[in-house]
Amino acid sequence: MIAQAVLNEWYPVAMAAMVGPWPGRATMLLGSDINVFLQDGAIMVRGPAGDLAVKVAYGHVWACPGTPAHDLFAVPEAAQPGRRLVDCGVVRVKCSPLRAVENFLDIAHFPFVHTDVLGAEPHTEVGRYEVQIREDSDEVWATKVHFYQPQAAKSAAGGIVTEYMYRVAASTAAVLYKTCPNNPDAWDVIGIFVQPLTEELCEVWPWMALFDDSTPQADLIQFQQMIFLQDRSILENQIPRLLPLDPGREIPTQADLTSIAYRRWLKRKGLTYGAQMVAA
Amino acid sequence: MKLYDYVLSASCYKVRLMAALMGVKLPTEAVDFHPGRAHRSAAFRAINPAGTLPVLVDGDLVLTESTAMLVYLAHGPWLGAGPKQTAQIQQWLAFSARLGASLGMARLHDMLLYPGDINALRRAGVEALRELESHLTEARFAGRIFLTGDTPTIADIACFPNVALAPDGGVSLDDYPSIRLWSRALRALPGFIEMPGIHRLHELKPAPEAVPPLESLP
Amino acid sequence: MSLWIANGLSQDLPPGVVMAGAWQGADLAIWRSGTGRLAAWGDRCPHRGMRLSHGFVRGETLSCIYHGWTYGADGGCQKIPAHPAMVPPAAIKAETYQCVEEGGLIWVAPADTAVDLPDLTGLTPVRSVTLRADRAALTRALPEAVVDGDLWRLAALGVVLALQDRAEGLGLHALCRDPALEVQLSRWLDGLLRLAEQGEAA
Repeated sequence: MIAQAVLNEWYPVAMAAMVGPWPGRATMLLGSDINVFLQDGAIMVRGPAGDLAVKVAYGHVWACPGTPAHDLFAVPEAAQPGRRLVDCGVVRVKCSPLRAVENFLDIAHFPFVHTDVLGAEPHTEVGRYEVQIREDSDEVWATKVHFYQPQAAKSAAGGIVTEYMYRVAASTAAVLYKTCPNNPDAWDVIGIFVQPLTEELCEVWPWMALFDDSTPQADLIQFQQMIFLQDRSILENQIPRLLPLDPGREIPTQADLTSIAYRRWLKRKGLTYGAQMVAA
Repeated sequence: MKLYDYVLSASCYKVRLMAALMGVKLPTEAVDFHPGRAHRSAAFRAINPAGTLPVLVDGDLVLTESTAMLVYLAHGPWLGAGPKQTAQIQQWLAFSARLGASLGMARLHDMLLYPGDINALRRAGVEALRELESHLTEARFAGRIFLTGDTPTIADIACFPNVALAPDGGVSLDDYPSIRLWSRALRALPGFIEMPGIHRLHELKPAPEAVPPLESLP
Repeated sequence: MSLWIANGLSQDLPPGVVMAGAWQGADLAIWRSGTGRLAAWGDRCPHRGMRLSHGFVRGETLSCIYHGWTYGADGGCQKIPAHPAMVPPAAIKAETYQCVEEGGLIWVAPADTAVDLPDLTGLTPVRSVTLRADRAALTRALPEAVVDGDLWRLAALGVVLALQDRAEGLGLHALCRDPALEVQLSRWLDGLLRLAEQGEAA
């Protein structure tokens, strides 16, 4: 039985531009088969029990199998004039959707997994940062995250200390805000929208809202795909597959404050699809 | 010279890797293979009617098979010495196509949702890996680590990517000790470059003496 | 029956290399340090559960590929790169097994197991393969084998197989009496896999 709290959330299920007429995209959501298709100009999502609530936002189709507990999270930067919006395409990973999100929130792995791109030895130190749960939106935010990077974005010229903010916008969606090389007053926005097919299988839809007028679209897409694909073999080899929500065999440190907050937040809200409660 | 390229393509990586090992600067143009399927567009088919990647263009030379590109970029021992070794290299270049058709397609299925009979693809992949393992084991009995001769050739480069990426398609490499040592030998070559799914061998560099404090950095 | 299980050939694990192993269904990371010392640990970094068999060996330590957490000979964590000044607490420790070399094979047993290894004098290790079938299939393919726990002796061929249950099937670590027959034995193993898996003629 899937908890009602889990059913009442919004989940990405397709890239809006790629949805066609019935049968459209046949996929799975929370263990059930669904079809995402175009009918009379509207995007529909149909499951075994009928049609799901649908929203189209940030280039993607979002579906709620239950009764939506709240609106889809807001990313105002997506509507900002001059922003490049980039849909990076789906990647399937044999891992818990929650493990995929948690990896996205982590920076200590940059020198080892995204070597010479997002980080490099000897610059492995993760400085103190701040984590809070924002009352108004009930979201986990990490701020003042900073890390030295050899090549932080396609538009970056060289190594800099990059500042980040991380935001858990939903149980399976996170957004990162990073200092923008082209526009020091703004943040580049990178999102990871995770579709839970089952508790141990997910499809990940990276998305971006950037200030960058010069880099070709294919380059922007492939930079993000490169980063995500470097994480995939990590995600598929974490044991247990389900994200442990009880303290136990996994030992966090100061660098893991965001992940600690994320796990506590999931547990408090009962969003435990893809998690295990008793340490294995 | 220019390579029409996709960062996640095993075949494109063969060419990028060969260029890096040869010390050749190879400009690339990213083609939106996924999600854009730009390689199937009319505009791209004007460059390569087959609608496939990679494509290597050098003046009026247009190559559309990755093994041909390896032949073009490499010289010296990489191409083998004498008719016997050259023929053996050809044999392994042909074998590399089986690796792409099995392990490569399993990877595209598991990662990018390509259609296919995944069990059949994995079975064919295991069969190919076993043949490779048997050959590399006998090479090791004779004191050799690479596919033909004592030094790496384009045969090794043609076969390496789909083998190294096999786990992406649900085929583990844990059961092939000779492949493990062959893979490590290639990844330790001067000029070797990685691709997503084949990570850096950090053991090739010693642990840093000291970590510069974050506050001291620009 | 001995608790010691063969996990591979010594010659297949040179210094500075880590590989995946298995002991009765438990996944292991088996590695050899720069000075040649072997260790077998549970294949799980205590930080975020990443397989240590994907890690990297530097000198006398094994580091996890995910965040670079570095472990020494006794399994204890020595370094956490995100916190360079921190001395990792003693509780951060890989699960250790015993690991010894005998007869050119790598043997693993749980910690504190008395050493109890078969006599492999006069035998040379040749090759490890993994059979994608069970012991019953192997018995049908090798009716002449004299089975002694996990050790199968084929006297007429001068071959001994040390068996190991692995994730993808049955590991066969093969030794033979005459080292000059290594190529023949390797090809015989290829045939054995086909025979035992499909009942094809070898």
